[in-house]
Amino acid sequence: MNRKIILPVLVILFASIFASKYPDTLEALAINYGFANKTKETLSLFAGYSFPFIKNSFLSTLCAGLTGLLIIYLLFQTTKKITTYFIK
Amino acid sequence: MHIPDGFLNNNLAGGMLTGSVCMLGYCFGKVLKAIPVSSQILATNCGNTTLKQDSLLLSKNSRQTFLNLAFIGSWIFAFQMFNVPIQSATSAHFIGGVFAAILVGPFFGFIIMSSVLTVQALFFSDGGLLALGANIFNMALVGCFLSYYVYKFIKKFNYVLATFIACLFSVMCASILCLTELSLSNNIIFSQVAKYMLNIHLGVSFLEAIITLVSVKVFNGDINE
Repeated sequence: MNRKIILPVLVILFASIFASKYPDTLEALAINYGFANKTKETLSLFAGYSFPFIKNSFLSTLCAGLTGLLIIYLLFQTTKKITTYFIK
Repeated sequence: MHIPDGFLNNNLAGGMLTGSVCMLGYCFGKVLKAIPVSSQILATNCGNTTLKQDSLLLSKNSRQTFLNLAFIGSWIFAFQMFNVPIQSATSAHFIGGVFAAILVGPFFGFIIMSSVLTVQALFFSDGGLLALGANIFNMALVGCFLSYYVYKFIKKFNYVLATFIACLFSVMCASILCLTELSLSNNIIFSQVAKYMLNIHLGVSFLEAIITLVSVKVFNGDINE
């Protein structure tokens, strides 16, 4: 059980330090073929995996990642509640 | 691999969104049948056995199932944050469809993948909201649901080979479908880019296969810390 909680946190810690800032394959394709300017930025809270109020890039990525884990956990807990409610 | 808003034709994106929502509903129906329910609770107070009418309770086993799903979802989310640099100043990340499919099967896997993609689109602007349908189609339906059957077919012969081929199938088909959608929206010409994209994703799929093999073992507890 511990293993299942600790590993994603560790991966996010490593990701916030080592993850490469290069554009990913699709963005690189868009830049090379000149349709990157068609992108419409959607407005969201943690846009681009960064926490809004933290200036330090490492800390902001770390906080955003941990928040993401929390959101996914809460989403599945809510699904469980809804399933409990609707199941016959 | 997450397609942002604006790349796709609105008609195409809307249609795919509808299809993905229908598929999600179908998977939920399958999952609700599979979840065991404890129908009655016997409560004993002072020798009098009363039958509580609380029949709306999941059994302990299915509560564990939901916890497992949350863990798998969080693992996939964490792995998708880790962008690995590959050739010529581009980076790629783990998809994780095969990882979910091996652990919990295609229907639960589809739900996990689509929920992770939805969270990414809503909160992290990784992939657009209108393009969410296309992303779910590429990564959850093909990357998880269909590649499970590839895995299941070859698993009879060899487990490692099955994982490798399923990962190859999921990454390659996801990238081919992504290119097809982009070329249907008149952004690129398929034949010009196909070689470049497939060349890159061949390497990515081997990386994905290795990470999948290791992380399935770690998740199941075959390797101790």
